[in-house]
Amino acid sequence: MPVAASAIYFLNLRGDVLINRTYRDDVGGNMVDAFRTHIMQTKELGNCPVRQIGGCSFVYMRISNVYIVIVASSNANVACGFKFVVEAVALFKSYFGGAFDEDAIRNNFVLIYELLDEIMDFGYPQNLSPEILKLYITQEGVRSPFSSKPKDKPVPNATLQVTGAVGWRREGLSYKKNEVFLDIVESVNLLMSSKGNVLRCDVTGKVLMKCFLSGMPDLKLGLNDKIGLEKESEMKSRPAKSGKTIELDDVTFHQCVNLTRFNSEKTVSFVPPDGEFELMKYRITEGVNLPFRVLPTINELGRTRMEVNVKVKSVFGAKMFALGVVVKIPVPKQTAKTNFQVTTGRAKYNPSIDCLVWKIRKFPGQTESTLSAEIELISTMGEKKSWTRPPIQMEFQVPMFTASGLRVRFLKVWEKSGYNTVEWVRYITKAGSYEIRC
Amino acid sequence: MSGMRGLSVFISDIRNCQNKEAERLRVDKELGNIRTCFKNDKGLTPYKKKKYVWKMLYIHMLGYDVDFGHMEAVSLISAPKYPEKQVGYIVTSCLLNENHDFLRLAINAVRNDIIGRNETYQCLALTLVGNIGGREFAESLAPDVQKLLISSSCRPLVRKKAALCLLRLFRKNPDVVNADGWADRMAQLLDERDLGVLTSSMSLLVSLVSNDYEGYSSCLPKCVKILERLARNQDVPQEYTYYGIPSPWLQVKTMRALQYFPTIEDPSTRRSLFEVLQRILMGTDVVKNVNKNNASHAVLFEALSLVMHLNAEKEMMSQCVALLGKFISVREPNIRYLGLENMTRMLMITDAQDIIKKHQPQIITSLKDPDISIRRRALDLLYGMCDVSNAKGIVEELLQYLSTAEFSMREELSLKAAILAEKFAPDLSWYVDVILQLIDNAGDFVSDDIWFRVVQFVTNNEDLQPYAASKVREYMDKIAIHETMVKVSAYILGEYGHLLARRPGCSARELFGILHEKLPTVSSPTIPLLLSTYAKLLMHAQPPDIELQKQIWNVFKKYESSIDVEIQQRAVEYFELSKKGAALMDVLAEMPKFPERQSSLIKKVEDVEDTADQSAIKLRAQQLPSNALVLADPQPVNGTPPPLKVPSISGIKLDHESASQTQSQPNGDLSKAQSQIPSADLVGEMVDSLAIEAPPVDMGSHQRVYREEDGIPDEVDGTAIVPIGDQANKVEPIGNITERFNALCLKDSGVLYEDPYIQIGVKAEWRGHHGRLVLFLGNKVTSPLTSVQALILPPAHLKLELSLVPDTIPPRAQVQCPLEVMNIRPSRDVAVLDFSYKFGTSMVSAKLRLPAVLNKFLQPLQLTSEEFFPQWRSLSGPPLKLQEVVRGVRPLSLPEMENLFNSFRVTICPGLDPNPNNLVASTTFYSENTRPMLCLARIETDPADRTQLRLTVASGDSTLTFELKEFIKEQLIAIPMGSRALVPAVPVPAAPLAQPPSPAVDANDPGAMLAGLL
Repeated sequence: MPVAASAIYFLNLRGDVLINRTYRDDVGGNMVDAFRTHIMQTKELGNCPVRQIGGCSFVYMRISNVYIVIVASSNANVACGFKFVVEAVALFKSYFGGAFDEDAIRNNFVLIYELLDEIMDFGYPQNLSPEILKLYITQEGVRSPFSSKPKDKPVPNATLQVTGAVGWRREGLSYKKNEVFLDIVESVNLLMSSKGNVLRCDVTGKVLMKCFLSGMPDLKLGLNDKIGLEKESEMKSRPAKSGKTIELDDVTFHQCVNLTRFNSEKTVSFVPPDGEFELMKYRITEGVNLPFRVLPTINELGRTRMEVNVKVKSVFGAKMFALGVVVKIPVPKQTAKTNFQVTTGRAKYNPSIDCLVWKIRKFPGQTESTLSAEIELISTMGEKKSWTRPPIQMEFQVPMFTASGLRVRFLKVWEKSGYNTVEWVRYITKAGSYEIRC
Repeated sequence: MSGMRGLSVFISDIRNCQNKEAERLRVDKELGNIRTCFKNDKGLTPYKKKKYVWKMLYIHMLGYDVDFGHMEAVSLISAPKYPEKQVGYIVTSCLLNENHDFLRLAINAVRNDIIGRNETYQCLALTLVGNIGGREFAESLAPDVQKLLISSSCRPLVRKKAALCLLRLFRKNPDVVNADGWADRMAQLLDERDLGVLTSSMSLLVSLVSNDYEGYSSCLPKCVKILERLARNQDVPQEYTYYGIPSPWLQVKTMRALQYFPTIEDPSTRRSLFEVLQRILMGTDVVKNVNKNNASHAVLFEALSLVMHLNAEKEMMSQCVALLGKFISVREPNIRYLGLENMTRMLMITDAQDIIKKHQPQIITSLKDPDISIRRRALDLLYGMCDVSNAKGIVEELLQYLSTAEFSMREELSLKAAILAEKFAPDLSWYVDVILQLIDNAGDFVSDDIWFRVVQFVTNNEDLQPYAASKVREYMDKIAIHETMVKVSAYILGEYGHLLARRPGCSARELFGILHEKLPTVSSPTIPLLLSTYAKLLMHAQPPDIELQKQIWNVFKKYESSIDVEIQQRAVEYFELSKKGAALMDVLAEMPKFPERQSSLIKKVEDVEDTADQSAIKLRAQQLPSNALVLADPQPVNGTPPPLKVPSISGIKLDHESASQTQSQPNGDLSKAQSQIPSADLVGEMVDSLAIEAPPVDMGSHQRVYREEDGIPDEVDGTAIVPIGDQANKVEPIGNITERFNALCLKDSGVLYEDPYIQIGVKAEWRGHHGRLVLFLGNKVTSPLTSVQALILPPAHLKLELSLVPDTIPPRAQVQCPLEVMNIRPSRDVAVLDFSYKFGTSMVSAKLRLPAVLNKFLQPLQLTSEEFFPQWRSLSGPPLKLQEVVRGVRPLSLPEMENLFNSFRVTICPGLDPNPNNLVASTTFYSENTRPMLCLARIETDPADRTQLRLTVASGDSTLTFELKEFIKEQLIAIPMGSRALVPAVPVPAAPLAQPPSPAVDANDPGAMLAGLL
C-alpha cells in the first residue's frame, strides 16, 4: 500500500489555507508557506504539478478556485495522490450537491474534517466511495437547512460493509422498477494538416452506467471488441462473425469488474454499485471514423486583407445529426473588420480569443456547410510579425454515433429473484481537441 | 474627460473584473472594438476618436501592448479643440518614443502650436517635446524654443517649460545651442526675477557648462548673485520658500553649476561667494522636522563640495571639518553617512588630515553603527586617514572589530587591515604580529595574497626570521587553528625552524610532530606545503636524526600513491632526494630573497573598491610608498622572470635528463613552451617552487626545465627556477601568423595577431577600389601597453592611410584604428604593418602582412553564356589572355575548388563549359587607374591527376591578366592546410617542375617571400 500524503491542504487562489489535515508528523506545519512563496507566487504555477522544495514533495491541482495540495516527505506514490484528490473532490461534490469551491468549503468545515478523517488514515487512502460513506457520515451539508428531519433508517452495519466482499454495494436494495442505463461517451482528438492528412488521431471513451437494481444482481456486458469476440468464437468453437471488430487499448475497469473472469473469458461481468459509476475507460487509435471533415482556405491579400473560406462536411450517417457544432477559425490579432457569409448557422468575430466563431445548432449527416469571410486588418506600428496561423478548432456532439464503431452486443442482468430489467443504451461522440491546421 | 460615458463604463468594467483573465478578455474585446472603429471607412467624429484614444491610453497603462492607432493619436494633435489636442499630446508622448517614425508627422503640428499665440497649446507642445523630442525635433524646433525662452512677452509658465524643453533638445543634439550665440542670452536669462524660470534655466545651464564651461564664464557672477539673493532671502516669494529655506532646489543647482567652472578668478566675486558659503555653513543646523532637514542638508552638502572644489582657505576647511565632525555624531543615519562620505572626500583634496584625526574616536564608533552602509563608509574613512602616527591604534581597532563584523565585510576589512599594517608598520615584528592575529581571528577571510606577503617580508628580512618562527610556533600550540595559519606556519617553520633549534620544544622532531598533527585536518592544497616542510626539516636536522627520517619517509611513502598529482610528485621527489644525503643540503637550501615589488594587495583592493572616485584608496595609491617597508619598483606581471638566485651545482642531476634535453633540442618548437607562462604572484610561484629548487643547469637559451625525476616538462613553475640571464626575452605570438593572414585573405574579419598581451583584430569593408580596414588593438592584461607604434609599409600599388594610433593602450581596453585603402593598379604585393609596443620593460614588435590583397578589389559577377563567350573570344592571345599549365596543385575536388574560387570573389559560372571537369569563372576588378575590368578565367582539370590543371585567364588589361593568373595560381598551390602551416613556407619555383603536392610558392612572388621572411 503506497503512502499518498503526509498532509493535505486546501488553499484559495490567494494562498490562504482554507482547511488542512495532517496525517503524519514528518512535515512541518509551515511547509505550506514554502508552497505559497515558491510556487503560487511565481510563474511556476501550472507548469508542473509535482514540485520538490526543501525535501518535501508538493503534489497539487486546481479545482475551480481552490488549490488542493498534498505534501509528502517520504517516497510517496504520486499517481495515487492525484487519484486520491480526484476521488475526494468527487466525494465532496456528492456531499455538497454539485459545486466544489471556496464557498462550499467554508460552508462545510465540519463535514470536510469528518470526511478527511475517514478517507485517509496515516497517509494511506481508505474507502472513498460516496455510497458507502453516506451510510455512516450522515451529517447533512447546509444545503437544505429546512429539510425534514432525517428518517429513522436502520443504522447499517458499517464494518461489515467496508470489510465485506462486495464493498461497493450494500445489501437489501429494492426498486419497484429495475432499470439499467448505459452510456458510451467518446471524445475524438484530431490534428489534421491543411492538406487533409491526419497527423494525430485517437478516441478516448468511457462506459458510464446508472443502475437502479434490487438485490445483488450480476451483470455481463458484451461489446464488439476484438479480444472478446475472438475469445467467444473460440469457446463456442464457431467461426468469428464477419463484421467490424474494435481493438481497445488501455482498458481500465471499475473495481467492481471481476478481473479473473475477464482474464479467462474476456467478458466484463460485475456486480454494479448502486447509482452512477464509470464502468470502464478505453482508448482507440486505429480505425477511427471521423465525424467531420474541414476544408479551410485562407488567403492573405496584401498587408491588410484576408479571405477565409471554410467548408465543413459531415460524414456520419444521413439519419443522424450533430448538435452544438462550433467552429473557431483563428484570425490575426489586428483584425479590424469582418464580413461573413454562411450557408447555415451564425458566425461572429470574437476579439478576446482572436477567432471567428461559427455556431451551427443542428448539423445533419452527409451534408456540408460553408463559411466565407473577408477580413480587414489594421496596420500596426510594430514590425510586421508573420502570423503563426493557429489551427482551426471544432466542438460538436453527435448522439448515437461512436467514432470508434464500438457497439454493445448484450447486457445481461442475472439476479437470484429473477426479476425483469429494462436496459437503456445510448452512444454519444464529442469533440476532444479537434484541430485542423490551416 | 467628463461626459465620455463609453470610457467610464469601460474603466468600471475593468475595475469590476475579478481576475486577470477576465480583465484580459475585456481588454481584448475593447481593442477589437477600437480596431473596427478606426478601420471604419466613413471616418470618426472627433468626439469618438478622442474617446477611443483615451481608451487606448488606459489599456496601454494597464500594461497591454497597443500597437495600432498611433496615427489617430498623432492626428489629434492638430485638432482645433483643447480636449482633443490634449489627448493627442498625452497619448503621443505616452505611446511613442523619440525613435518612432510617426513622430515626424507630428513635428509640423507641434511647431505650429509652439509659434502660435495660445499659451496652453504652447505648454502642451513644449511638454511633449521636453518628454520625447529627438534629434529631428532638435533640428527643426530649437530656434523657436529659444525664442520663446528669451521672449519677454511670454508668461513665466511658458518660459519655464521652454527652458526644460531646450534642455532636452540640447541633450539630444548639443549643436543646437552653441556657446557663441547663446552665452550672452543665457547670462541675460539669469537676471530673471521669477524663480521658477530661473530654476529651469539653471538646469539648462548646468547641462550646458557640464559640456563646455568656457563660453559661459559671463554667467559665473550672475550665479553668485543669485546665490547671494537666495542666501539673504531677498525678494523670494512665499511659494518658493520651502520650510523657511529660500528655494533649496535653485541653490543646489546653482552651486552645482559653479562646480563646473575650474576656479573663480575675480576676487570680488570670489569673496562674495565665500560669504554666501560661510553663511550656509554657519546657518545650518539639525532640526526635528525631517523635510526641513533634508532641504537644508541638501544645500549644505552641495555647499561643502563647492568649498572643496574651490580649494578654500584653511580656516574654512577646518570649519567644514568641524561641521562634518558634528554630523557624524548626530542620530540621523543619512546625515551621518553623508558626513563620513564627505570627510573621505575631504581627505583626498586637502591636507585636513590633522583636523580629521581629532574625530577618530567618533569614526571608530561609527564602525559599530547598525547600518552597514555607514560602517562601510567609516571603514573607508579610517583606511584613508591612517598614517604612521595613528596606524597602530586604527589597526588594532580594526582587528578587534573583525571578530564582530558581519561576513560580507570581513574580507574587505582583513585586506585593508593587512595593507595598513604593511604600510605603516613602525617595525616589522609588529607587522607579523598583526597579520598572524588577523589569520587567527578571521582565517576564512584572509586571502592567499596576505600570507604570501608575510612570507615575502620574512624571507627578505633576516632579523625577522627567528621572531616569526617563534611566533608561529606559539600559534601552533593552540588547539584549533585555521588552515591558512597551518600554511604560514609550515612554510616559516620549514624555512626557519632550525633557527629555534635551541629553544625548548623546537627541535626538528618536535616541530615535525606538531606539524604532522595538523596534517589530517587540512585540505589537499596544503598537504604539498607540509611535505615540503618535512623535507626541509629533514635537511636541517643535523646530525641526521634516524628516527625522524624514518617517520618522514613513512609519510612520503604513504603519499607516493596519492591521487593528487602534486602531492604524489612531491612525495616521490622528496623521498628520492632525501636519499641523496649531503646533496640534499644544496637542493633544499634556504629560499633566496624576493625582489622588492609592489604589494598585490593594493592592486586587489583597488579592484574591489566600489565607490571608485571618492574612495580613499586612490589617495593611498598616490601617496608615498610606505615608510617602513620598501615596496617600490613594480615588477611586470609577465615578461622577464624575477631574477632568482638559485644555489648552484648539483650532484644529482640525472643522466637521462640531460639526454632527453639534447634530444629535444633540435625540435623546432622547443622555445615555445617557455616565457608564455603567465607567472602568478611571486610568492605563489615560490610556494610551488619550494619543492624543486633545481640545480641550475646551463642549457643555453632554448631549453626546457625538467623536474628531477620524471622528465615531464615543467611549464608551470618554469619561471621560478630558470637561471637569471639565460631567459630569452621574447614574446611568442599565439597561433600562426601566416595561417591567420591566409584566413583573412578569404574573409573580412578576424584576428590578425595575438600574443599574451595584445590581440589585433581586423574588420574590413571593400567597395570598388576603396577599402576601409579597422584594426582593433586589444590589451589583454591589466596594465597598460605603452609606446605603441604602428607603421604601414605600403607597396606601390596601394594608397594607405592609417589614422593615429594612440601611444598607450589602457588596461583591458580596446583601441580602434581605421585604415583607408585605395587600390591604384593591379598587383599582388602585400602591405606590411610594422607594429611594436612596450610591455613593462620589454619591447615587442611584429611585422604583419595586412589582408589587403588583390582579391579584395574584385567584385563577384555571374555571367550567362551569351555574355561570356563573346567576351572570351574577343580577348584572344597574350598578353590579354594567358594560359599556363599548373602542376603541384593541392588536390581539390571540383566543388571544393568552386568554393575556393567563390571565396576569393571569382564567381564560378556553372554550366557554361560543356566539359564537366572544367570550371569557368568571371569577376570584375576595380582600381583607380583602370575602369572596372571584366576578368574571365577557365580552369581545365584532369580527373586522373588532381595535382595539375590548365589555367587560362583573360581580361582587358595585360598586367591585370598576369597578376590575376599568378594570384589564382598561388591560391591553388600555396594554401596551407592545418598542420602544414606550421612548416615555414619555402620558396620553390613552381611552374616548370612537377612537384609533389607541397606548400610551395612562386619565387617571384614578393608577398610570399615576405611571408617567408616573417
